[in-house]
Amino acid sequence: MPLYEGLGSGGEKTAVVIDLGEAFTKCGFAGETGPRCIIPSEIKKPDVPKPIKVVQYNINTEELYSYLKEFIHMLYFRHLLVNPRDRRVVIIESVLCPSHFRDTLTRVLFKHFEVPSVLFAPSHLMSLLTLGINSAMVLDCGYKESLVLPIYEGIPILSCWGSLPLGGKAIHKELEYQLLEQCTVDTGLAKGQSLPSVMGSVPEDIVEDIKVRTCFVSDLQRGLKIQAAKFNIDGSAERPPPPPDVDYPLDGEKILHVVGPIRDSVVEILFEQDNEETSVATLILDSLIQCPIDTRKQLAENLVVIGGTAMLPGFLHRLMAEIRYLVEKPKYKEALATKTFRIHTPPAKPNCVAWLGGAIFGALQDILGSRSVSKEYYSQTGRIPDWCCLNNPPLEMMFDVGKAPPPLMKRAFSTEK
Amino acid sequence: VCEGRRGGSGGGSLGWEGRSEPNPTDIPGPGASRGAWARPCAVPQVDSHYCPSCLENMPSAEAKLKKNRCANCFDCPCCMHTLSTRATSIPAPLPDDPAKTTMKKAYYLACGFCRWTSRDVGMADKSVASGGWQEPENPHTQRINKLVEYYQQLAQKEKIERDRKKLVRRRNYMPLAFSDKYGLGTRLQRQRPGAPISALAGLSLKEGEDQKEIKIEPADAVEEVEPLPEDYYTRPINLTEVTTLHQRLLQPDFQPICASQLYPRHKHLLIKRSLRCRKCEHNLSKPEFNPTSIKFKIQLVAVNYIPEVRIMSIPNLRYMKESQVLLTLTNPVENITHVTLLECEEGDPDNINSTAKVAVPPKELILAGKDAAAEYDELAEPQDFQDDPDIIAFRKANKVGVFIKVTPQKEEGEVTVSFKMKHEFKNLAAPIRPSEEGDQISEVIWLTHHVELSLGPVLP
Repeated sequence: MPLYEGLGSGGEKTAVVIDLGEAFTKCGFAGETGPRCIIPSEIKKPDVPKPIKVVQYNINTEELYSYLKEFIHMLYFRHLLVNPRDRRVVIIESVLCPSHFRDTLTRVLFKHFEVPSVLFAPSHLMSLLTLGINSAMVLDCGYKESLVLPIYEGIPILSCWGSLPLGGKAIHKELEYQLLEQCTVDTGLAKGQSLPSVMGSVPEDIVEDIKVRTCFVSDLQRGLKIQAAKFNIDGSAERPPPPPDVDYPLDGEKILHVVGPIRDSVVEILFEQDNEETSVATLILDSLIQCPIDTRKQLAENLVVIGGTAMLPGFLHRLMAEIRYLVEKPKYKEALATKTFRIHTPPAKPNCVAWLGGAIFGALQDILGSRSVSKEYYSQTGRIPDWCCLNNPPLEMMFDVGKAPPPLMKRAFSTEK
Repeated sequence: VCEGRRGGSGGGSLGWEGRSEPNPTDIPGPGASRGAWARPCAVPQVDSHYCPSCLENMPSAEAKLKKNRCANCFDCPCCMHTLSTRATSIPAPLPDDPAKTTMKKAYYLACGFCRWTSRDVGMADKSVASGGWQEPENPHTQRINKLVEYYQQLAQKEKIERDRKKLVRRRNYMPLAFSDKYGLGTRLQRQRPGAPISALAGLSLKEGEDQKEIKIEPADAVEEVEPLPEDYYTRPINLTEVTTLHQRLLQPDFQPICASQLYPRHKHLLIKRSLRCRKCEHNLSKPEFNPTSIKFKIQLVAVNYIPEVRIMSIPNLRYMKESQVLLTLTNPVENITHVTLLECEEGDPDNINSTAKVAVPPKELILAGKDAAAEYDELAEPQDFQDDPDIIAFRKANKVGVFIKVTPQKEEGEVTVSFKMKHEFKNLAAPIRPSEEGDQISEVIWLTHHVELSLGPVLP
C-alpha cells in the first residue's frame, strides 16, 4: 500500500469506488490495486425466492430507491466495513446510463447515506488512467451491451459512440436455447432424458457457469466456418469438428451433457453479422470512421477492451483478427486509410479495469473534492450535473453558490426567463 | 413492539406519533442483517470488527491495514468454509547431525467440508502453526503505484493553478497583454500551438515547468494477441479443474481459471453496528465490544419505555353483543406511570382495520413502578391505589388487569379493535449540562400510541 494512504496529505480518508454493473458490482477503496469484492448486483428479499436485480431502468422510483438503498447498505456494512458518512464516493458509470437511474442513485447516497460527495466517472475514460495514455478507442463488452467510445487527449468524442446488445445477456439467452434444444440429462432414475422434460428453463446462474467454464471463442477461420455451416447458404458447408462434450453436474443427482458444438458456436453471435452487418468488431471500425481523420491513426493503434465478456478465452485474439479481416472489406477499405491496429494490456483483469481507473482517480485527493458534487451543492440545487443537460452551470461556478449562472448560457440554450 | 393476539403469534401493532427526545426506536440486534429498511430515522454505524471464526476483536486501525481480513483464519477457496490447520510429522534431518533424522511437525491447511488442502495448490507445509502462510502478491502493484504517483503530481499542479486563479486579482493598471481578460494570460498559461489539448481537463504536464517531474512510460500497445493453443479445440475438459465464476470472483486480483491456482484467502471480518438518531445524533444502540457478548452497552428500545398491552381473556364474541375483554397493562419503567386509554375519533387516519366498537375505561389508570425485587420482598406493603372493581380486574406489582367492552360490528370475520393509549415518558438519561435552576431534571412528555388488537373470529 502506498505510504501516503490514509495518514498524510491532509488526513482525508480514502474514497470509496463503486462500479455498478448490470450483472456484477465491483467495489473497493481508492488507491488499491483491485476491488475488495466483485458481487452480483442483486439483493435477496426473504419472501421472494429469486434474487432481485438492482440495476433496472424500467421500474418506478420508489422500488428502485429501496433496492439501491438495500444494496448499498450491504456494500458498506458487509464488504467495505466503513461508515458511509466519512468517505467520498466515486461511481463508475456508463455514459448511456439513464438520468433517472443516476438521480435515484444520487438521492440514495446523499439523502439516506449522507456521503460527503459523489463523483460520476465514465468507465471508458477511467480505463485510460490505468495505462497512462491520453487517447484510445475503448470497447466495453459487458452484460447488457457492448459499448464503444473513443477518447482523444482525455476527452471522450461523444458523437462517435456505438453500441450493440451483444453481451453476456445475449450469450446466456442463446446458450439456454441451445441447451434446451440439444442437450440431454441423466437423472437418478433415467438416462438420456431431454432437458425440457426435466426442467422447463435453466436458471441463469447455471447458464452463466456453463458459459464461463466450457465455452470459448474460436479463431477467425474456424469461426467463419462455423457461421457458414449454421446459415448453410450453399447447403454444402460443414462445420469444423466440434470440441469434446462436457458432463456438467446440475446437482447431486442430475448430470447435463453439454454437447460439443454448443461450446464454440454460442459465442459466435458476437461476431455474426446480422442483417445490418454489425458485430462487436464493426463497432470499433464504424466508430473509427466517424472520428475526425487526424485522430484515427492514433485511436486505431491504441485499442482498449474492457468488460467481463472480453474475458472469454480467445476473445481478444478473435477480435483483432476480425478487425483486420473486416478492414479489407469494401465498406471500410476506402474509408479507412489506417491499417495498423494495436491493443493494450491493462494491469488488471478486463472486468476490473474501469474500477481500477476510478480507484486511481479517487486517490487524487487534491482534486477529487473539487471535481465531485458535494452534499451542499446537491441540497441546494437538488440535482447532479449530467452531460446531456445543457442548462446545468459548470461545477466551477458552484464555488460561490450565490452567483447566478452566466446569462449567455441561459439565453442560448434554455427557454427559462 | 407490543403484541396482543389470542394465541400469541403477533397481531397487534403499535404505531406511535409522539415526539420525544431521544427517539426510542425498536431495533433488531446488530448482528441481524435486516438491511436498510430497519429504521429510516436511525443511522447505522460501524462499531467494531471481529472475525466470525476465531471471534477475535480487531481494532479498526488494524482492520484497515489488514484490509478487513483476519490474520489467523483462512477460507477454503473452493467451498468458502473455514480452513483448519492440520499437523503431520515428517522426518527431517537434525541440524547437528545430517545422518540422523528426527520427526518434525509440519502444518498444512485443510478444509473439513470439501477436502481441499493447501498441498493441492502446491503450498509448502510450514513449520509454525500460524502466521506462516502468505497470500500471493498482485504482480501489477508496482505499476499501479507508479501511475498513482504520476497522476498525483498532475493533480497537485491542477490544484495549485486553481488556487492561483482564485487569488489573482485584476490589475487595472497593467497592460492588456498581461491580464487575463482576453485569455492570453502570461507566458506560463498560454498554450503552445501543437501542444496537446489539456487532457482530463488539465491533467497533463506543460513542458518545461517543473524540473523534478515523475515521468511515466505510457503503456505499450501490442500488435498480436496470443491465440488459443492448438489443442484447445480438441482436449477434453475436466470440470473439477476449472474454477467456477464464483470462485474466481472471490479473488479479484487474480481470478484464476485453473483450480491449481486457487490460493486461500484470509477470512473476511464482520462488524457490529451501532445506531444513531439522524436528527439529534444521540446514540440509540451500542453493542458490547467483546464479540462473544450479545448484550448492549446502550439500548434505547421502545419495549423498555412503552407499557405493554396483552390480552388476557376473551369471551365469546357475538355480533352486536357487548362483551368484556380482559387486558393487562405492564409498566416497564421503575417509576409510577399514568396511562389513559382513549377511543379513536371519527376520521382517524390510523383507524382503518377496526371491525368492532370499543368502550375503554374513562379514568386515568395508575401503574406501579417495576421493582425487580418485588417478588422476593414478602414484607412489602401493597400500595393502595383504590381501584374501581368495574374497571380494574386485578393488580399485581407493575401489572394491572383492565376491562374493555367490545361490540363486534360485523357479522363475520375477525374482530379488530383500536384505541389510543396515552402515557407519560420521562427522559432519565443524564443531561449533558446539569441544570442548576430548580430540581426539574427531566420534563415529562406525554406520548400517545395507536393500539390495534385482533381478538379472533366472531362466533355465530
